[in-house]
Amino acid sequence: MTHAGSERVSLDPRFAPPFPEAALIMLRNPQLRKNVGHAIDVIQTKRGKLVVEKTDWQELRSAASAIRVHALENLGVYLEEFEARCTAAGGHVHWAADAAEARQIILDLLREENASEVIKIKTMTSAEIQLNPFLQAAGVNVYETDLAEIILQLGEGEPSHIVVPALHINRSQVREIFARTMGLKNLSDDPKELTNAARTYLRQKFLTVPTAISGANFLIAESGTVSVVESEGNGRMCLTLPRTLISLVGIEKVLPRFQDLEVMLQLLARSATGERMNPYTSLWTGVSPGDGPQKFHVVLLDNGRSRILAKTKERQTLKCIRCAACMNTCPVYRQTGGHAYGSVYPGPIGAILTPQLMQMKYAQTLPYASSLCGACYEVCPVKINIPEVLLELRSQVVNQERKQAGRFFDLMYLGLRIANLIFATAWGFHAAQRMGRIGLRFFTSKDGWIHSLPSLGAKWTQTRDLRGLPKQTFHQWWATHAKEEK
Amino acid sequence: MNQPVESRQLTLDRIRAATPSAAQDASLLADAYAALPRAYIRRGDLSAQARIELMIHRLREYDAEVVECTPEELADALATQLAASGRHRFVAPSGAPPEWLVTSAYKIKGLEWTIDHGLDIDEIEKAEGVVTAATCGIADSGTIVLHHSATEGRRVLTLLPDWYLCILRASQIVETLPEYFSRCQQPPVLATYISGPSATADIEMTRIKGVHGPRILVVILVRDDPEYINLIHRPDVNVANISKYLDLDLDLRFTASVKPKL
Amino acid sequence: MRASLFITCYNDTLFPEIGRAVVRLLERLGVTLDFHPRQTCCGQMHANTGFRGEAFSQAKRFVRLYQDSENVVIPSSSCVAMIRDQYPGIFAELGNESLHKDFAALVPRVYELSEFLIDKLGVEDVGATFTHRVVYHASCHGVRALQLGERPYKLMAKVRGLDLATMANVDRCCGFGGTFSVKNAEVSSAMLTAKLQDVLATKAEYCTALDNSCLMHLGGAMHREYAGMKTIHLAQILASTEADSEDNRTEAAQ
Repeated sequence: MTHAGSERVSLDPRFAPPFPEAALIMLRNPQLRKNVGHAIDVIQTKRGKLVVEKTDWQELRSAASAIRVHALENLGVYLEEFEARCTAAGGHVHWAADAAEARQIILDLLREENASEVIKIKTMTSAEIQLNPFLQAAGVNVYETDLAEIILQLGEGEPSHIVVPALHINRSQVREIFARTMGLKNLSDDPKELTNAARTYLRQKFLTVPTAISGANFLIAESGTVSVVESEGNGRMCLTLPRTLISLVGIEKVLPRFQDLEVMLQLLARSATGERMNPYTSLWTGVSPGDGPQKFHVVLLDNGRSRILAKTKERQTLKCIRCAACMNTCPVYRQTGGHAYGSVYPGPIGAILTPQLMQMKYAQTLPYASSLCGACYEVCPVKINIPEVLLELRSQVVNQERKQAGRFFDLMYLGLRIANLIFATAWGFHAAQRMGRIGLRFFTSKDGWIHSLPSLGAKWTQTRDLRGLPKQTFHQWWATHAKEEK
Repeated sequence: MNQPVESRQLTLDRIRAATPSAAQDASLLADAYAALPRAYIRRGDLSAQARIELMIHRLREYDAEVVECTPEELADALATQLAASGRHRFVAPSGAPPEWLVTSAYKIKGLEWTIDHGLDIDEIEKAEGVVTAATCGIADSGTIVLHHSATEGRRVLTLLPDWYLCILRASQIVETLPEYFSRCQQPPVLATYISGPSATADIEMTRIKGVHGPRILVVILVRDDPEYINLIHRPDVNVANISKYLDLDLDLRFTASVKPKL
Repeated sequence: MRASLFITCYNDTLFPEIGRAVVRLLERLGVTLDFHPRQTCCGQMHANTGFRGEAFSQAKRFVRLYQDSENVVIPSSSCVAMIRDQYPGIFAELGNESLHKDFAALVPRVYELSEFLIDKLGVEDVGATFTHRVVYHASCHGVRALQLGERPYKLMAKVRGLDLATMANVDRCCGFGGTFSVKNAEVSSAMLTAKLQDVLATKAEYCTALDNSCLMHLGGAMHREYAGMKTIHLAQILASTEADSEDNRTEAAQ
């Protein structure tokens, strides 16, 4: 049985089906497409108005891009500076080389606290390392506190967006989940009432669970400060009420100075939710006596990031501030939603980040999940040239294919290799044109159009006609035209 | 088993190997940082009055209640708002000035103040409202900045009570976010930036106010700006008509895109 | 003014009438055109699919064929974008110094058709008449990579009789994306359907663009669905004159 209109999906790139296959399931789900389309239209409209109003938008993008490039270029120094300042302020900094290590560090910290329960504010990084199932299996009850994450946790669904993870679920589906799992039979599908149900459900958890896990939007090197940007206040609850706070943060999240936030915060909310500023931004530095958790741990996660850092074209992937503007504008994401990407990071940024985190061993269809229209690059607040990285990764996928015996059975591969020979000489090109004209004559109707082709061509003609080849190519016409001129 | 020391070294080694063009010393790093392009708008160009007006406009867009008063009227204005809230149990930060508390306690029957000298979470949770000062107001985004000083209170204080009254002074209002950062001599140890009441749009992008934080935000704007004070003391000027005496040149680019009602 | 016409592989094979329209248009404006008989392909399909080595051989071929041309005109925005945006990276990786140098010298002289008309020839009114309702599809490479901006609109504004329809989401991708339309045929089709709804809602007779690859995609769906709208390259509209017979117009619109 599937709940909430979402099919059973895997967001583990090692097991997820190839993108075209996963996308097909989503394309055939009208409810999902309606939900996704509606949510994206709302965000896009709001974002568009705010970007027009911001007369220095391009200057902010340039500054943000430069700050992120500089921070990555000098990542080692800035991380050490952060570590020193955070430690001096009473925080504990841990380093995790990979996902398994990060999970273990967090579990060990929870064991030290004898924690059987933990509250969480939405963190993509914890989803990346699949922290929740690991903690549950180790006997720790995990309570997500972001409204969308509660919907997904209670409905046993998977996130399909990095900012609004449950945008594929509509109000009546939320009502069904809450009514069933919270035992509220008379719940209506009014979003206000549903939100209230979540407030009531979580209030006691906030007040009693002594341990919390968060991510972070930014680390400030010069002061050892951590920042979390949110809307609902669940973040502030998790960051201030518990005795112990553990923040899991990717190593790329560091900014050199506090002042850099003046750039990032102007871009982030406008790009992410179409607001001038998100309702709550929290900053804290280590431990403050009498205010907030008295034990604070930061777990710095590498998990493949330093590998990406080493590569010239791919490094820009790490500039990402997780605003999701790229997926909101992406015409592919608009049709498929997030689950088709088989990763907790969907959309254009997911299409470049996921295969790299997987060392190009999995998710090889993701770099091809784009028409290269460039809309993502246009909106990216930190100017990640996503199409450029997509092309780089495609080239790596092809280079893998070149070593595989199976390539001789791949029509696309063979076709492009042959096409290369054809285009190498005018003679070859013209000969291929003549052969094509003869070959396609069989498929061409009386009206001069092709309605059906075999094999790979069928991929085109399943929804589109193709005009048959004309009797004369342009270069043949030119030859006669040039003679007439003389 | 986790080996924290080794992982630290391993990760830093990987990072160093991945970034051969990193600055070689602290002074080169500082130079590289100083050379970063910052061509964005740092300082706004609105007049003082327009800046204050924009802050009020933004706060009201967020459905916050905004009332204005002169510095002398603050105690009365506060008492009026507390009475209007229909609530009785309030908390205040440890550094709350006595004038906030005395007038209201005298005027309102049954009003109960609890000062936060390390209150338990349960005690704060029982409060129906909270009153604090602020560090800064950012007009461009309608943001209230708290650095959690003694008059602004611990973070939890402005989080649990459902009704939050913030006392903001006109002199604390800047136009742009970079202006706030310029005002900070050093990074705050703790800070919270509040832009409207807590909200979610997680269900069909329908904006719902008040998820976990305070659902009601009231701002008393203390007009300590000289222009206002000079005007309000003239016999022909009062709160109702003062705006036409103030030199307002509210930039249309800000008012053109009022947030759509969702 | 002299210019070399790079017609592109798919226009040469599938849409020779676009080439004829470009010749007619530019010769009318006094441009002396030449056509290099050994031209084939710019390498875009290979580069975009990840076959960088193959794309390199075609890119090199392009530079060698045109390095002595006064100007190169290309009636396909995605091919121009390939040359401007991707050649530098490909040459940096696989090319040598001399190729780099020759490319750098050549690239400022490579023009997309509307750029050539407006930036190089300095004309907006090309003397065209086209009495039809038309909707313009701002193809992704034209709008984002080449930043064509107002150019096509300036040209269309001066075409007599042309009734320009406005379209919602004008810069949203039609879903073609080269081999994307085959590798992700279903997603591509879904994008196409969405685009077609916006295009057809304009109730135009013709959908035009500066890139035949988008038009092949849109036109293929229009034909399949008996949509009652045809595609036409902007070069064909700009080449049309009052004197054109109905026959010419029919041919132009095919």
